[in-house]
Amino acid sequence: MNVLIIEDERSLAREVDIFLTNNNYVCEVAYNGRSASEKISVNLYDFILIDLGLPDYDGLDLLKEAKRNNPEAACIILTARAEVNDRITGLDLGADDYVPKPFSLLELQSRMQAITRRKFGLKQNTVTLGDFLINLTERTISHEGNVINTITKKEFDLIAYMLLHKNRTLTRTQLSEHIWGSVVNDDYDSNYIDAHIKNIRKKLNAFASPNWLETVRGLGYKIVVNS
Amino acid sequence: MKLNTKLTLFNTISKLVIVVFFVLLLPLLINYISLGYTDGKLVEQKDKVLQIVKTLGIGNYITDGESYGSYTLLKEEYISLDEVPADEYLDTIMNERRIVEGDTIEYRILSHTFKADKKNYLLEVGKSVSTLDDTTGPLQKIAFLVLVGMILLTILADQVYSNYVLRPLRQIIKTRLNSSRFPYTDSYNKVRTSTVDFQYLDISIHRMMETITNKFQKEREFISNASHELMTPISILQTKIENMFVEEDIADELKVRLLEMQRILNRLKSITKTLLLISQIENEQFIKQDEVNLSEMLHDVQDEISIRLEQKDVALTIEVPADIVLHKVNKFLLFNLFFNLVNNAIKYNIAGGSINITARKNISGLILNIADTGIGIGEDELPFIFDRFKKLKRALQQESFGLGLPIVKSIADFHGIVIEVTSEKGRGSTFSLIIPDEILK
Repeated sequence: MNVLIIEDERSLAREVDIFLTNNNYVCEVAYNGRSASEKISVNLYDFILIDLGLPDYDGLDLLKEAKRNNPEAACIILTARAEVNDRITGLDLGADDYVPKPFSLLELQSRMQAITRRKFGLKQNTVTLGDFLINLTERTISHEGNVINTITKKEFDLIAYMLLHKNRTLTRTQLSEHIWGSVVNDDYDSNYIDAHIKNIRKKLNAFASPNWLETVRGLGYKIVVNS
Repeated sequence: MKLNTKLTLFNTISKLVIVVFFVLLLPLLINYISLGYTDGKLVEQKDKVLQIVKTLGIGNYITDGESYGSYTLLKEEYISLDEVPADEYLDTIMNERRIVEGDTIEYRILSHTFKADKKNYLLEVGKSVSTLDDTTGPLQKIAFLVLVGMILLTILADQVYSNYVLRPLRQIIKTRLNSSRFPYTDSYNKVRTSTVDFQYLDISIHRMMETITNKFQKEREFISNASHELMTPISILQTKIENMFVEEDIADELKVRLLEMQRILNRLKSITKTLLLISQIENEQFIKQDEVNLSEMLHDVQDEISIRLEQKDVALTIEVPADIVLHKVNKFLLFNLFFNLVNNAIKYNIAGGSINITARKNISGLILNIADTGIGIGEDELPFIFDRFKKLKRALQQESFGLGLPIVKSIADFHGIVIEVTSEKGRGSTFSLIIPDEILK
């Protein structure tokens, strides 16, 4: 998939570029509004990541141009100025999502995948993990055809997020950022992710061993899928 | 006590002291005046007698060594002439008793000796003391009444005048300090007064408020700008660490160090995000258009936070009627408010403790109490719990940067919710949210 990264902070643009390239996206970078505008009018992209705080251009104008010249592209606004009005205007103008800085690359990728599923109709609704069947649309985990109803919303969120980034170690910070993203609170170090994982294991173990959910010593957790 | 009352009270007391002092002195004074007057009269009468003796001769009164005496019908006054030995000399005025027709009466007596026809005579002119007392009594009474009347009049005048003269001060307090909403954005309307001190006070307060408002706005702008500016570098660091983390040729040992960096960066991110949130709330950048069912929201918070309750073995009970709906609020912010309050109640609770959320109606609105059985807040810390970055002892014991309650306070202020905290060390704390009628549906 083709991605245009419009970001004037070269360092950040470079890191997003590396990450997405490693995840099989084809990236182009525009460091200012003028070159972004040129690229939008010439090329076709699947994703356009727009930084609103460009020195030479209003990001919202770029969004309008993108919608005009690249109507198929999914636009994600990246900005440090995550003020409500900007957010509403951005979404009203047709942006598909809004990722406030600072963001996690994994979070960005999750959102891009969600948009892909929604927008491009690429549905991967069910995944088999060992003896368990996970339905991402219905948000259920089942074992031998029976839905395990003890799994809470947060626990499912964790499993789904790890599944999205399967075979990759996710740190507690990355996991907590995903599941507590909307709540602003002042804890900076809690072990509640461990407690969640412990609960998930306990609940699933009642049916079968969830040996696909691995603890990576000292680092975090990952879901291992052999394909 | 009001300044006006204080001034009036002082005036009244000072006047009363003077009156009491004067009233105590009054009999002495009146006696003194009355005696002076009587003595003067006696001297006048003596002079008159001597004049008569000089012109008519002593023989007119005394013949053959007999005494002369005369008194009025009620024995109030008397006069007497007597021949006395040549060596006796007297010229006094004093109180003495005399027996007149069998009655012993006290007189004020002028005694004077003089020579006439080569003989020595004693003249006595007396005035009864009781007649003197008859006049001093009413005099004292009248003086006392006049004094009391005058004092009442002056107290009234003082009260009216101080009321009038202090009116601008009350207006300054009311318009500049009490009813002005901070930050101070109203245009300056001079308080009308001819008192120079009040004019000076008015302009000084106005200038002071302007300075504070400017500093306040600058602080808000600074926090907002600094937080914004920090977002991009944090983003860059975060993405760099994440990218390094997935590189395959990195040793596990290095990954652990990267993890530590990620953790610290996350802390920086949390602080920045929190400060930005507070500054956005204070700059009124949130829209209050949501409708929220209080009980449902509290149960959502409970779901969200259940893992922390479980970890600490804390029981949470919510006794809030299901029909309480808040409107014209911001759902995201309210959720954050309750989340932080409940999170705090868990954080500072004891293992196996409990949190009880109850609601009750009151004249001023709805009171929502969040009571915990935690470690409590010391009296010395209680006034500072809503201060940003104020490192309290209890926060230091936890992994917290002390911004949870400032978030709560900003959100509550934004919605017009008043927070009251009662706490006892070792017994737990109760946070009472007074939710105004305006946002209750």
